[in-house]
Formats: sequence, C-alpha cells, structure tokens
Amino acid sequence: MMKVLLVCSGGMSSAIVVKAIEKEAEREGLSMVVKSVGTGELAEELKNGWNLVLVAPQVRHRLDELRQKASVHNVPVALIPPQGYSPLGGAIVLAEIKKLGS
Amino acid sequence: MKKLFELLDRYLIPVMTKLSEQRHLRAIRDGIISTIPLIIVGSFFMIIAFPPIPALAAMVKPYANQILLPFRFTMGLMALYACHSIGYHLAKSYNLDGVSGGLLALAAFFLTSVPVSMENKGLALLMENLGGGGMFVAIIMAIFAVEVLRFAKERKLTIRMPEGVPDSVARSFEALIPAALIIPAVWLVRDVVGFDIQQFVMGLFQPLVLAGNSLAGVLTPIILITLLWATGIHGDSVVGTVARPIWLVLLDQNIAAAAAGQPIPNIAPEPFFQWFVWIGGSGATIGLVFLMLRSRSPYLRSVGKATLLPGICNINEPVIFGVPVMLNPLLFVPFLVGPVVAGTLTYFAMQLELVTKPYILVPWTLPAPIGAYLATGGDWRAMVLVLVNISIVTGLYYPFFKAYERKLLSEEANLIQEEAR
Repeated sequence: MMKVLLVCSGGMSSAIVVKAIEKEAEREGLSMVVKSVGTGELAEELKNGWNLVLVAPQVRHRLDELRQKASVHNVPVALIPPQGYSPLGGAIVLAEIKKLGS
Repeated sequence: MKKLFELLDRYLIPVMTKLSEQRHLRAIRDGIISTIPLIIVGSFFMIIAFPPIPALAAMVKPYANQILLPFRFTMGLMALYACHSIGYHLAKSYNLDGVSGGLLALAAFFLTSVPVSMENKGLALLMENLGGGGMFVAIIMAIFAVEVLRFAKERKLTIRMPEGVPDSVARSFEALIPAALIIPAVWLVRDVVGFDIQQFVMGLFQPLVLAGNSLAGVLTPIILITLLWATGIHGDSVVGTVARPIWLVLLDQNIAAAAAGQPIPNIAPEPFFQWFVWIGGSGATIGLVFLMLRSRSPYLRSVGKATLLPGICNINEPVIFGVPVMLNPLLFVPFLVGPVVAGTLTYFAMQLELVTKPYILVPWTLPAPIGAYLATGGDWRAMVLVLVNISIVTGLYYPFFKAYERKLLSEEANLIQEEAR
C-alpha cells in the first residue's frame, strides 16, 4: 500500500489537502495512507517509513532542506502543484501521486 | 502586473527565502516556535488573573499573585526556554548532539547574569533578564555556545572515549572541552573584566524594537508578507524568522505592564497582525471568501464553500491556491492594500487608545473577533474593530472580485460553447 506524507509549514493546511486526496482515492477505489506534518516534524515522521513526500507550494523555498531530510531515508520528494493545493484539488494531486508512484 | 510578479520572483523572493533559510536564523525561528505552547498556556493565566468581567475581576483580585505564577514561570522565563531550544536546533543543524548544544547555550546565557544576595536566603537570580528582555542575549549566547561546540568538533578538540563506551556517554563527553572554553570565556568577560553583556546587547537591539513598534515597522512586515504570499510563498514563516524575536520582546513588555497594572506600551506584538490584519489568513482573505459564497461563478462558489471553515480559523492556503490569489493580477491589489489599510487603521485606533493594545498570545486558529477579544484582555471594542476591518477589506475586494468573476464566467461560457461545437 502506498504511503504518502504531505509537508507544509505547520501541518494545518496540508491536512485539508489530505482529506481531498483521501476522498478522491476512495472514489477511485485505491487504498492509500496519507498524512500531513509540519516541516519541523518531517525528520521524525520519516522514520515511520513513507513511499513519497509531497511538499506544499508555500514552503517550496525550503525544498532543498526537506529533500535532504528525506534522502536520509531514500524517500523521493515532489512539489504539490499549486492548483492542486485546495479542498477541490484532490484529483490533481492524486494524478501526480500515481505518476510519481509508477 | 506580470512584470511586477517577475521582479518579485527575481529579486525579492530569492533574498527573502535565502535569509529565512540561513542556518542561525532558522535555529532562532525553530527555537522560538518550540516555546510558543508555554507562552500561550502561560499567558492564559493572565486572563484568569485579570478577567474581563468586573465582578469576576474583583473576586479574583486577592489571589492575582498566586494565579500569575504559572505565567511568570513560562512567559516570564521566555528567554531561558528559547535559549535552550535555539542551542538544541542549531546543534542539530550541524549534526551535533542537540542536548549538549542546548545545555551549553543555557550555561553561557546564565553566566551573563550576576546573582543578587538575599539576606538569610542565599543568592537569587533576577527573573527580569530571563524573560523577553533577555531574548537577544539568549539568542547571541546560544549561537556563541554552539559555534564553540562546532569549532571544537571540527578541530577534533574532543575527548575520545575508548571503544565499547556507550554512544550516549561518549557524546556527552564531546561537550567537555567546549564547556571548558565557553564557561571561562563568558565568566572572564562578564565577571573579571566586568563588561555587562546584557546591558550592551539590550542597548544594541533597542532601536530595532522601537522601529518594530512604529507605523513603518508595522507596514513593512505586512507588505513583505503579502508580496511573498502573492507569489505563493509562506510569507509569515519567512518574515517571522527575523521579526518574531522583536514581536516577542514587544509582547513581553506589554504583558509585564499589564501584570503590574500599568498602561500597555506597545501596539505591534504579533497578535496585532494576527487578529486585526490577517483576518482569515494572510491578505485578510476572509472578505474574499464571503464574496465567493454568493458568486455567480459555480467554481468560485464551490471554492467559497470549501474555504469558509478553514478561513474562519485563519487558514487560507486553500484560498490562495484554490481561487487562486497566487499570481493573480486582479486580486493582487486588494490582497496587498486590504491588510495595509486594516493595519494602518488599527495602528491609529490603538495609538488613540480607542482599542486596548494586545498583550496576550492566544492560539491563532481562533475566529478573529474572539482572538482579538482575548488578546486585548477582553476589550469588546477590539471585536468591533475586527468587524470594521472585515467590512473594509470585503469592500476593497468587491470590485476586483467582480472583475475576476466576469473573467471566469466568460471563460466558463467559452468552454461550454467549444464543447457544444
């Protein structure tokens, strides 16, 4: 099962996107674990084994730093397209996840 | 307008983001953020000690000093907590032992104080310098201590333990030589030479604190934060990296004055921005959300519905990326002007003492009128000011929102026509 971790500044706004992705995944009958964390918790959370880290657009200026943290655990990191980062963007992000996961 | 976004992208954003990602500033940011829960819970006791209802206030007055103790040991020792966690985060960023970094930072910070002798009771440390007033000293001593720790590690000035010694034990010995460098160094400067590090540093940063409390000091972060968010970068976390220590010092002075029953001196600690400017999130987008709820464009209506609840809790990434406001030339104007107007109005309302200056830190996800009420120690006029600000920004968004709506409607109509063909 695919495990996707979303990172934003405080883990708040990405929680909204997590819900959107979960809803979309359920609609497509995909089983998937999605969780949101703030940038401060990323290093700790990565120890729990994730397949993919998605970074919120508003913290893209910290991408290098986040990528470094994920590389310790060999987890690929990608940016969430801005237009997908909303309660209505579930389909866009899910398509991105499928593209990256395959 | 497109050119403006290009200019921002080329000049402002790289400078700002680089600044906010600078290692020491990052450690300061992360270190101070770790202390926020203590500050929020601690300042809650301020509300209990001085409740906004007069009858209640009279009842708890005899116990105010006892009730304030949790506040004094959290907010009142803010620099102490921040010093440890800044040392921890900075050491971690160098891949050094975080606990050693935090402890060395604390030792260096404590050594800048001189205890006072209390008759029959031994020595006492003045709490005053361990609170917000000592914030900049704490930051500088934490950086100094961890830099020494790093220097020692790089030069291999460490005591190496024989094989078989547990890792945690070996790591704690790594701090031995750095401690032997840091402690005598601060002691020499402070107690032998007699150079008052605290007074010197406080004097050095005093102009910055004063500037942070001026109208320009209020508008600068407002403009920078909205410019960053307009390009989709988390402006608050970038600008806050530099501004938050100043905001905390302003807050500490306010809350200390309130606890002592004196008039509150500063307008611009962080709650000023949080409750009166960033209503519904950066850019005061709550006005936009209200307008979208009744939009003729089905798309904007659905965005409005989906962003109402997060917006009331001041979370507006869904608005910024969903509408989108990001890189949207039409909505850029009210997104920038709205907060500037709200900030200026609030500044003067507080300067003229029409509204109490904020002195309590409450969680930022509360609805703005409630947050403003609590942050001002229960001033109902603060709620009125928030409502006034909301109507102003909504009015400012209106014409630009209408123009954007028309654009979307004609695009949607074109799409339908094309599909019909």
